[in-house]
Amino acid sequence: MRFNEKELVCLSRQPSEMAAELGMRGPKKGDVVKRRLVKLVVNFLFYFRTDEEEPVGALLLEQCRVEREDSQTFSIAFLDEAERKYLFECDSEEQCKEWIDSIIKASYEFMRRNLIFYRTEIHRLTGKDPLEQYGISDETRFQVNSGSQLMARETSSL
Amino acid sequence: MKLHEKILTHFLSCTSPVDKEGYLYKKKERNATYYRRWFVLKANLLFYQERPADRHLLGVIVLEGCMVQMLDSDGFFPFTLQFGSGLKTYRFAAGDAQTQRRWVKALFLASHSYLSSLVRDLGRQYEEAKQQQDSTNSCSSSKTLSSPINSLLVPTLGPFSVVREGRSFSASAALLPPSMPTKMAAKKSPKKWPRRNAHVTPLNGPVPPYGEWPLVGSDPLVEFSKLHDFYGQEVQKAREEWLRSRQTEKEQHEKDLIDLA
Repeated sequence: MRFNEKELVCLSRQPSEMAAELGMRGPKKGDVVKRRLVKLVVNFLFYFRTDEEEPVGALLLEQCRVEREDSQTFSIAFLDEAERKYLFECDSEEQCKEWIDSIIKASYEFMRRNLIFYRTEIHRLTGKDPLEQYGISDETRFQVNSGSQLMARETSSL
Repeated sequence: MKLHEKILTHFLSCTSPVDKEGYLYKKKERNATYYRRWFVLKANLLFYQERPADRHLLGVIVLEGCMVQMLDSDGFFPFTLQFGSGLKTYRFAAGDAQTQRRWVKALFLASHSYLSSLVRDLGRQYEEAKQQQDSTNSCSSSKTLSSPINSLLVPTLGPFSVVREGRSFSASAALLPPSMPTKMAAKKSPKKWPRRNAHVTPLNGPVPPYGEWPLVGSDPLVEFSKLHDFYGQEVQKAREEWLRSRQTEKEQHEKDLIDLA
């Protein structure tokens, strides 16, 4: 599958508050712990070999489960495969907590839920839809009831 | 760089909302021909394949740090996604003006940084609305909510459109840090975020100088986790209140049952 690699690499270079060297272990049997510079940018977790400019890889932080493994270790499981986890070893309990928190809150879906909450609440408190001032109240993206709703297909004249 | 594709395709096929889908023409760089593709927009990712029923995905575009530009052309409805100097420009065309408009708008709103600034704004409005309700419960005068950023999306917005051949929109341009020369006609000036130690991988490539193209979540992202802690607490409080009110309801019912018995 093609993707905009150069642009994604550029994204990985953006300043991030959550960037640290952690011990990282892949999900496969036989994977060992390696020191990686792990960096959270938008809803991606990039990991670099120390002192390299291009990341080794990028993990999309959607539909994943972040868990505390022990006092200083957390894991991220993808694809509903609870046993296939990426492990991250931190230097302290506090650092571990901070990473778990940040990763959960970085997910687009998490933010979307917050938005819907605020939208509903503001409407309830003021009688006004706060998205109207931005001209985006009809966007599917911000609908309160959006679940697996699909927009009508754009068949147009094609 | 390895992009873990299975994670993306899993995200595409799961039950979280599809934000937009439909046919568009995409220009191939090599032979300058437009090919019809089926696009699916979900969160800040734009997937494309040949047909809707196809299992095989041709590609994905991560929509961060790009500018959407609508172009004017007779009988042809093109638009582009520009990532900045040295980086790609994707060229698309819609079948009609309405489709073109809708896609341009949808793509403009798609980035993570856009959503994060929107959530921040709404969080502020929510706090104000709560305070106003608390302090003036009997007051019936209408209160206007402040809108810190004038408009993140107004088609006629001048300040941050790079007008070459048409109108362009960049969500991340609205996040320009206050220290930058900005011509934004905002009602309120952006809040000055304190600078923090940002861990930046050494730049050593064709990355455009700071300020030349829309940076993804520069300062706002710095405060991001703090803000989410704060807003997360609100969500938590609301949930707890709701659960408590349900619990009292439940207790009431149980009480009635006991009385009847």
